[in-house]
Amino acid sequence: MRTSRHIRLAGLLITFLTATLVVAAQDVTLPRKQSTLKFAVIGDTGTGDSNQYRVAKVLAAARQTFPFEFVVMVGDNMYGADNPRDYEKKFEIPYKPILDAGVKFYAALGNHDSPNQKQYKLFNMNGQRFYTFKPKDGVRFFALDSNYMDPEQLQWAEKELKASGSDWKIAFFHHPLYSSGERHGSDTAMKDQLEPLFQRYSVDVVLTGHDHVYERIKPQKGIQYFVVGNSAKVRKGDLEEIGLTAKGFDTGYGFMLVELDGDQFHFQVISDAGKTIDSGTVVRNRQPNAPANAAPDTVTVPKPPAKK
Amino acid sequence: MRKPRLLSALALLMIWLASAWTVRVGAQNADAKVLAEFKAKVDAYDALRKDLAKKAPPLEKADDPHEIAIAEKALAEQIKIARANAKPGDIFTPETQRVFKRLLSPTLKGDEGVENKTVLKEDRPPAAKIPLRVNGEYPKDQPLSTVPPDMLRALPPLPEAVQYRFVGKHLILYCTRGNLIVDYMLNAIP
Repeated sequence: MRTSRHIRLAGLLITFLTATLVVAAQDVTLPRKQSTLKFAVIGDTGTGDSNQYRVAKVLAAARQTFPFEFVVMVGDNMYGADNPRDYEKKFEIPYKPILDAGVKFYAALGNHDSPNQKQYKLFNMNGQRFYTFKPKDGVRFFALDSNYMDPEQLQWAEKELKASGSDWKIAFFHHPLYSSGERHGSDTAMKDQLEPLFQRYSVDVVLTGHDHVYERIKPQKGIQYFVVGNSAKVRKGDLEEIGLTAKGFDTGYGFMLVELDGDQFHFQVISDAGKTIDSGTVVRNRQPNAPANAAPDTVTVPKPPAKK
Repeated sequence: MRKPRLLSALALLMIWLASAWTVRVGAQNADAKVLAEFKAKVDAYDALRKDLAKKAPPLEKADDPHEIAIAEKALAEQIKIARANAKPGDIFTPETQRVFKRLLSPTLKGDEGVENKTVLKEDRPPAAKIPLRVNGEYPKDQPLSTVPPDMLRALPPLPEAVQYRFVGKHLILYCTRGNLIVDYMLNAIP
């Protein structure tokens, strides 16, 4: 009995050390400056299975070298049931080391999520299915509920985007406006509603999930879109060649690290094997609240993965 | 000779236009009346829900998963008791269903219709997985359908705690707080 417990503990220790070594072996190459805003992005996480746990471990290990302050969740936080035990199994246990370090998670609702998740304290939604938060001067996040984009929410989004004088406007929600995923793909019905707003009020970056892949979309009308839907599920070979992809990854799991430094949005996407899948910088070159088409738009400058 | 004929043709045209306008205005008034009744019924449900929520642990103050589950369940039980006699069609009356089908119809036509159908087809759960019962709990292991924004704009607005969702081709009124099906409308879309 005691031997089997020792074996289990040793197994957990080996897994943790492996995850740490894996990430250590593949340096986190963001600028890693002192006073920058650092955060992580995960999507389609709530399976409670070994894939979610493995990605969570690599994410926790990455935080050793890249101390992100919060994590953005782009929906499908809880697949299947969401009984109290599910909140533990699909969220609190896998991310325990990160939660214990005082890192906040900000969730958006996916189509597999109960609307009552908005009450859950650790998702920091404050009882709202759409909300905004400002982690630092000059940066504002807009969490939307893309499952139910009713006129009330659209009006709210317009009001909040208009009122925001922030330099950086980052929207996150579940359904991708642009995606090369064969399973779902671009949600054009949603795009018709949101894209004009995003353009009018100069949203810089949009983070989504739903398709179980990672994809960086070629900038669309001045906006940089990412799909990060592979933090616990992968739909292998799901990315189609339809001319949208700047970089795609549909063979493994992963998450994104982001560092905001002045006008630069540095990102690095890391797989569950600790390998860098994509990295680069989105550069803002617009004045706050200027129309998106008034100046050259965000520019993505991909960097090659760090060599070791 | 020509003038009187022209005048009578004009008069006939005016009579026809006037009657067409009367029919149209009459139909609009009838729709407005049906939608007003629908709104009143949904508002009554929401008022009841709010009232019953006072007797259950407050969901607004629940932030722990156990508290959320307890509050949701307790509210659902209260609603089931209070609406024990509720029947399918109490809110989605036959008249409401006719108007709703007419309101939804344009959102399913043209290019936008294709987009909206795609969204509905992708995300809506199969009807076989969700028993359609008034006061029935929505199965927690099934996703909630994504409802295209066009459709939400076409349909009358709802209180914050009630939403339109699709189950297969059927439209349900879903109470988010109690996780309950308030009423349903079969074959709302073709």
